[in-house]
This record gives sequence, structure tokens and C-alpha cells, in this order.
Amino acid sequence: MSQASASPEAVRAVDLRKSYGDRVAVDGIDFTVPTGSCFGFLGPNGAGKTTTMRMIYGLSSPGGGELEVLGGNIVTERRQVKARIGVVAQETNLDGELTLSEGLAQQASYFGIDRSDAKAKAQELLEFALLADRADEKPRQLSGGMKRRLLIARSLVADPDLIVLDEPTTGLDPQARLAVWDSLERLKQRGVTLVITTHYMDEAERLCDRLVIMDEGRIVADGRPSELIAETVGAEVLELRPLPECDEEGLIDSLSDGSITGIERGPATILIFSGDAEAVLSRHDHDRFPLESALARRATLEDVFLKLTGRSLRE
Amino acid sequence: MLPEPRFAFAVWRRNAKVFSKLWKGALLPTFLDPLFYLIALGFGLGTYIASLDGVPYRDFLAPGLIASAALWAASFETTYNVYMRMNEDRLYDAVLATPVEVQDLAAGDIIWGATRAMVYGSVFAIVVAAFGLISSPWAILIPPFVFIGGLCFAVIGYAFTSLVGRIDFYSYYFTLGVTPMFLFSGIFFPFTDLPDWVEVVAWFSPLYHLVEITRGLATGPEALQIALHACWLVVVSLILFPIPVRALRRRLLA
Ligand SMILES: Nc1ncnc2c1ncn2[C@@H]1O[C@H](COP(=O)(O)OP(=O)(O)O)[C@@H](O)[C@H]1O
Ligand SMILES: [Mg+2]
Repeated sequence: MSQASASPEAVRAVDLRKSYGDRVAVDGIDFTVPTGSCFGFLGPNGAGKTTTMRMIYGLSSPGGGELEVLGGNIVTERRQVKARIGVVAQETNLDGELTLSEGLAQQASYFGIDRSDAKAKAQELLEFALLADRADEKPRQLSGGMKRRLLIARSLVADPDLIVLDEPTTGLDPQARLAVWDSLERLKQRGVTLVITTHYMDEAERLCDRLVIMDEGRIVADGRPSELIAETVGAEVLELRPLPECDEEGLIDSLSDGSITGIERGPATILIFSGDAEAVLSRHDHDRFPLESALARRATLEDVFLKLTGRSLRE
Repeated sequence: MLPEPRFAFAVWRRNAKVFSKLWKGALLPTFLDPLFYLIALGFGLGTYIASLDGVPYRDFLAPGLIASAALWAASFETTYNVYMRMNEDRLYDAVLATPVEVQDLAAGDIIWGATRAMVYGSVFAIVVAAFGLISSPWAILIPPFVFIGGLCFAVIGYAFTSLVGRIDFYSYYFTLGVTPMFLFSGIFFPFTDLPDWVEVVAWFSPLYHLVEITRGLATGPEALQIALHACWLVVVSLILFPIPVRALRRRLLA
């Protein structure tokens, strides 16, 4: 444990692969999660995020390549490695027959923690999840956001060095998402390594120190969110909605110059990436190329994904 | 790989905890079932049956029904109940993400199935005793032996559940497995006057061995016979245990 926790890398994957029959879920990915960071996997449904997470926390065996978790081998040293990982799976898997405090104490016993310590731990975690007043209720009595907070609290039961969270805020309303983000930020401050998947770019930008963007089982980009945006699409985006009579080719030609780093054409919108969207917009001739609307805004990871794959993150 | 006791115990305790909350409701049906058989066949039909080897029919029937209570209890637990935990509630995914491994989970759930069988068998044994149908003080040993029989029933049910992922097929397990075993394991009629092959076939039924044990203990034991039947149950349980472990590994850790 001492040797492993001194490792600067919480997770290291080299050419990691996984197929289900003929379907390739993860197609040779390399990444390194620095200890103490929040590391994100951003990608659309089916990109291979869950498969990658399940390999990291030992519920799926790698189909090829190398995978080192907390300095250990998740295949040959399963118990030791799993003992130091907290998991929030994509699907809610709370024990519906137990009350919240019983469920947390039970989770502690799966880690070999003895009963009196388990009870104290359960109490502490209910407070972390802001659910202390619900200790004797069953999970089904909780809202979606509360369940997710409880799942996060449950993942902390054995003071993990690494927490893997698979889409921790999918399906939550904005307020519940904020509460989950708040929990995760508290964990970040404690120095726990977080690995999180999401298909919300705002979530990735807010929480992640580093991230990879996955698509169809591959990593298409990696880096810090701000650097990724700056390097891939430039700082700003001009989002144009031409009117039906507008000549789109002509419009694009009229705006193009050396400052433009990329152009993406969707069914109704044209995105023009550049360092200064206002400057591009100022060159626009409204009479020749009529627009329904024009919006200059900061570039986001959504734009990065669009530029790299030609598709939107959320279809 | 062998199960590690403390992790298997954690799994067992979760089930015991849940059972302790709903035992009143859960105990009744599985317990009334053999009671109805005892009344209808033992006291009803049995009135018209001459004694078997000098033993009244209900005295012959009752100890076998103790064994059958264990069979039904262990079979329901390791099929429908395990299915719910494994597939509907996704509890297995959650548990396997902790240091608990498949073999611990299987051992904990199977031992729990045997425990439940022991509880049902023992409660029914008390009823049988209350009817005055137990003549030997050795009957006090019935619960631990029912546990051993329960282990065997539980391993088999658990193996079925780990191999068959569709709940629609579970009624086959009962119709083609549990019910015939219940009817043809020497609970309702002795094999003495039937062709020899009948008893040879019955020898492959785990229930037959437990029936021989409970009947032996209820009427006065032949220790060696009982020990041999118990050995059969233990050995078969151990031989079969790797089957569900391997099947679940393939299914849950794919
Ligand atoms: N158990 C499985 N059996 C067969 N195919 C699977 C299984 N799990 C995932 N897949 C497939 O692998 C691909 C990646 O899925 P997943 O890792 O769940 O993606 P994500 O979490 O990014 O949405 C998908 O095409 C999915 O259908
Ligand atoms: Mg997923």
C-alpha cells in the first residue's frame, strides 16, 4: 500500500481494449490519471466510457493492453486494489431492502470493517450526503438527486484513494446537479483522485483538471479543458443561422480569413471557430447574406467534440 | 479460488438482516404447505392406509415433510430471490465492486439458503413434534442435518440461477426438478416393495438422503447410515460449488 500510494499515477492504461463479440467497445486507448486530480471521460452514449470504468474498478476484465490501478494489477490483485476504490456505477444499485444507515453499514462490512466502526461510518456518511434526517428511510423514498448523493457517500465508506463515478449527474435536475457537484468538489479538496464520465461539457469543464474525449471506443483528444478548447477550436465561436434565401457558400467565403481556425456546418447552423468571434462578425454583410441570428460566444468542449468528430455530443 | 469467510459472512448477514425484517410474512406459506400435506395425507388418507412396517402412515410421512420444507425453502431462496438481487436490483454489481469476490458472494448466498432451509425445517419439526409424531430424542439433531441438506439444495438452485438468466424459465426448475424430487424421494411411500432400480434412481436425489436422515433421527437413529447420507450431501455440495462460481464470473465480470 505504501509503495502504491506513493505512485504519482492513480490509473495508467496502455493500448487498453475490450470487445463484446464482434462489437469493439474500447479500441486501444492510452491515458494516465495523475494522483489527486479529477480526470474526466467525455463522450456521447456508446463511446466506451462505462466499459472503461468497469475495467478500472474490476467488474470487467481488459480484453487487451495494460491497465494499472493504484499501482496494482486489477486482474491479479483484485481484492487489494478494489479495497481502495470507491465506485458510483452508472445505474443506481442501492440495496432497496435496507434503510440508508443499514445500507451504509452493510457496505462497510463488504470492506471488512467491523460492526461498531461501520455504524459510526454510516452516520458520518449520511451527514456528508446531507441525509442524516433520512437515516431510517428506504432508498425508494429518496429523490433522484438524493439517491445519487447517497451513492457517492456509499463509495466513500472505506476512505478510498480513487473514486470512479460513471455519469454521476445524468438525469438530474439542475439543482440536484449542483448538489452533486458540490459533493465532488468537497472530495477534490480532500485530495481524493476522481475519475468521472459525463456527456455534459459544462460538467467536464467545471470539475475536471484533465480529460479525454472518447468517441467510438477511441480517445480523440486529451488535455486540460481550457487548453483543449484553445488548441482545437480557438477561444471563440460565431454561431450563425442563415435565412433560407442566404447563399451559405458565399457567406462562408465572405467571412473567411487567416484568423479562422475551423468551420462546422450543421443542418441549421454554421459554426465559425476563431480567436475573436466579434471581429469575424464585423466583416459580415447583412444585405448580401441575410441571417436569422448571429451569436458570438466562448468556445466549449461541445465545439471541440463537434470539430473532431463532425457530430454533436448529444444526438 | 476459495471463498474468504469474513466476506462470505458479510453477504450472509445482509440476507439474514433482510429476513429478520420480514420473516413473519415470509415464513408462513412455505410452512403451511407441508402442514397441509401432513393433514391431508397423514391424517386424511393415512387413516385408510395400513401401517407401514408397523409404523402408522403419518409417523412415516411427517419426518420426510420436514426435509421437503427445507427443499422448498432453499429452492425459492436460491432461484427467485437470488434472481431479484442479481438482475433486478443489481446488488451483485454493487457488491462485486467492493473487495467481495464472486466466490464469497456465492458462498454467502448459498449458506444463507441453507440457513433459511434450516429455519423452515426446524419450525416444521416443532409442529410435527407437537402432533406427537416424533418418538426419538435424537430428533434434536434434525436442524443441523437439515442445514447440510439445505446446502445441497441451495447449491443446485444457485447453479441453476447463475446459468439461466431468464426468470420465465424458473418454473421449469420447479416443475421438472423440485416437484418430482419432492414426490419420488421416499417421503410418501417406501421403496421396500418396489423394484430395486427405483431406489437406485432415488439415490441420486439429494432430498432422498435428507429424508433418510430426518426419518432416522425422528424414529431412532442408525448412526452410520445417517453419517453416510450426510457425507453424500456434503460431497455433492462441494463438487457442485464451482459450477455457479464459474458461471457467475463469466456473466458478471465479462
Ligand atoms: N455487456 C455488453 N455486451 C455487449 N455490448 C456491450 C456491453 N457493454 C457495452 N457494450 C457496447 O459497447 C459499446 C460501448 O458501451 P459503453 O461503454 O456503455 O459506452 P458509454 O458508457 O460511453 O455510453 C456500446 O456499443 C455498447 O453497446
Ligand atoms: Mg455509460
